Amino acid sequence: MQRDYHDLLWGGILALFGLGVAGYAAQSYDFGDLRRMGPGFFPVILGLILAVLGIVIAIPAWWRQAQPEPIAWREGVAVLAALLFFGFSMTRLGIAPATFVAVLIASSVAARRGLVWRLMLAVVVTALTWAIFLGALDMPIPLFPWSR
Amino acid sequence: MTTLEGLAHGLSVALQPSILIYSLFGALLGTFVGVLPGIGAMAAITLLLPITYYISSEAALVMLAGVYYGAQYGGSVASILLRLPGTPQSAVTTLDGYPLAQQGRAGVALFTAMISSFAGSMLGIAILVLMAGWLASIATQFGAADYAAMMVMGLVAASTIGSRQPAKSLAMVVVGLILGTVGTDVNSGAPRFTFGQTQLLDGINLVALAMGLFGVAEVIANIRKADRHGPPNRVGLRELIPARDDLRRICAPILRGTTLGGFFGALPGTGSTISSFLSYALERRVSHRPQKFGHGAVEGIAGPESANNSAAITAFVPTLTLGIPGDPIMALMLGALVIHGIQPGPMMLEARPDMFWGLVVSFGIGNLFLLILNLPLIGIWVSMLRIPFRWLYPAIIVFICLGVYSVRGASFDIVMVAAVGAIGYALALAAFSPALLLLGFVLGPLIETNLRRALLVSRGDPMIFLERPIACGFVIATLALILLPLARRIRQGRR
Repeated sequence: MQRDYHDLLWGGILALFGLGVAGYAAQSYDFGDLRRMGPGFFPVILGLILAVLGIVIAIPAWWRQAQPEPIAWREGVAVLAALLFFGFSMTRLGIAPATFVAVLIASSVAARRGLVWRLMLAVVVTALTWAIFLGALDMPIPLFPWSR
Repeated sequence: MTTLEGLAHGLSVALQPSILIYSLFGALLGTFVGVLPGIGAMAAITLLLPITYYISSEAALVMLAGVYYGAQYGGSVASILLRLPGTPQSAVTTLDGYPLAQQGRAGVALFTAMISSFAGSMLGIAILVLMAGWLASIATQFGAADYAAMMVMGLVAASTIGSRQPAKSLAMVVVGLILGTVGTDVNSGAPRFTFGQTQLLDGINLVALAMGLFGVAEVIANIRKADRHGPPNRVGLRELIPARDDLRRICAPILRGTTLGGFFGALPGTGSTISSFLSYALERRVSHRPQKFGHGAVEGIAGPESANNSAAITAFVPTLTLGIPGDPIMALMLGALVIHGIQPGPMMLEARPDMFWGLVVSFGIGNLFLLILNLPLIGIWVSMLRIPFRWLYPAIIVFICLGVYSVRGASFDIVMVAAVGAIGYALALAAFSPALLLLGFVLGPLIETNLRRALLVSRGDPMIFLERPIACGFVIATLALILLPLARRIRQGRR
């Protein structure tokens, strides 16, 4: 067991974020007054409330014991990589190659071994994507790099 | 329009083939995602949001609502057979449903869950019809101060009731409120927190935010966890037939659960999850055999299941009559309506009777359909539990990308989804509620606008919130919601 670092860390981040929002809004936008609130009024108040809440979360966490949940690093990286790859390649490569590769990236972290099921899954999902988004919904995205 | 005329009108809308198909599709899809642990109603509704651009607003709302109540039905299947709640609303059902399944009485548990869900929904619809007209007539007297106070109370209630760490929940709400201010300020026209990015002038995209928080973050969290359970037992149709004794036991809990759920569902800030927990506690208290709870009491399924379905229906009351979503799912629904250019509020019953009554009647049809189909289809739903998550999540990721891209054709939004997903996962690890963030995000601009308007009317005098009886009631309730748990904690700390 160790200190509740999750809450300590997040409490601190939220408090800083709140102060940052309040400070930025106070500097950049007109605060106004109660009668005629400027665009800065609401964000400044919210930022300050968040800063207080962050402190309320962080301080008791120092004396509290907690077992942090393990972070799924590999899964997180694979999912984000699949998303970003798809986002960048969708309009450039077309959605068929983008889907195929994104599925392979995402499924690379699944616990089950083997390449065959991954390839089959990629084919099936690519076919489904084509049928739903190009066939049924008629979205204006190229299917392959040469089909535009 | 009288209630009867309205229902007749609604019937003519809901029986249109296209509406009927979307209602059935939504209900079935909802059951499907509810059955599968790892994907909730939030994620499913989010994934469908972009698709609703392509269909009429009635059909869209009918379909999304179908997903919502369908997921409640489906969620109980995974709860009972695997002790893995498919949706948070059905978490309580694991307490008695799983023991029943282990005693070889899974069929009875499933039947109880389904019949209770159906009864809860139907009575919920009756409450919705009765309350909506009444509330809409009151709501015309609501001023800006009343709206602002009510929404603040809703947010505070959502984060303090049933929460173990209210400060964390409140912090999420405030983060949501702050994110809601990004973009052009509607009152002054000044851009806020856009940092020169033109893509941010319209504000943060609701679909991108929701997909990051509920799609991406949940996928990351579930890849390791989801496939650890063993295969479920098979359930035959014949096993579903309950004994006379069981039927006798579930009637009163259904009535109590429905009433409780109907009440808490309609209140802003308390939704179906809270209703199901409260109903379980109530049933255990009034039961003649409280020792049986947790070891397979059918009352412990009937109460919560009717409560959460009833609450899922009555949650539409504040959404449709006041334009204020009471829970995160309703916030998404409201987002869907706004996408279609419909601003729900007291005038909607008058201005769009087809929408309101069509929706009400389609709730009834959808639930009837679920009851009729789910009993014979139970074998199929049980076999759905065998679909491994590793087959599903890569497809979900691709659909998230295409869904969010389709909103306005910007790859920027996919990067946004990835960023929100990473943050959302980290927050969920530390037990922060992403659902509350979304609720704050949707309500934020509404609160700000009403707050400004109220203080403009009162010439900057904050006493307006205490002088108006409705607003004053909400302010007192808000203070009570904050101070009561605080007082209890301090008293416990002294001991």
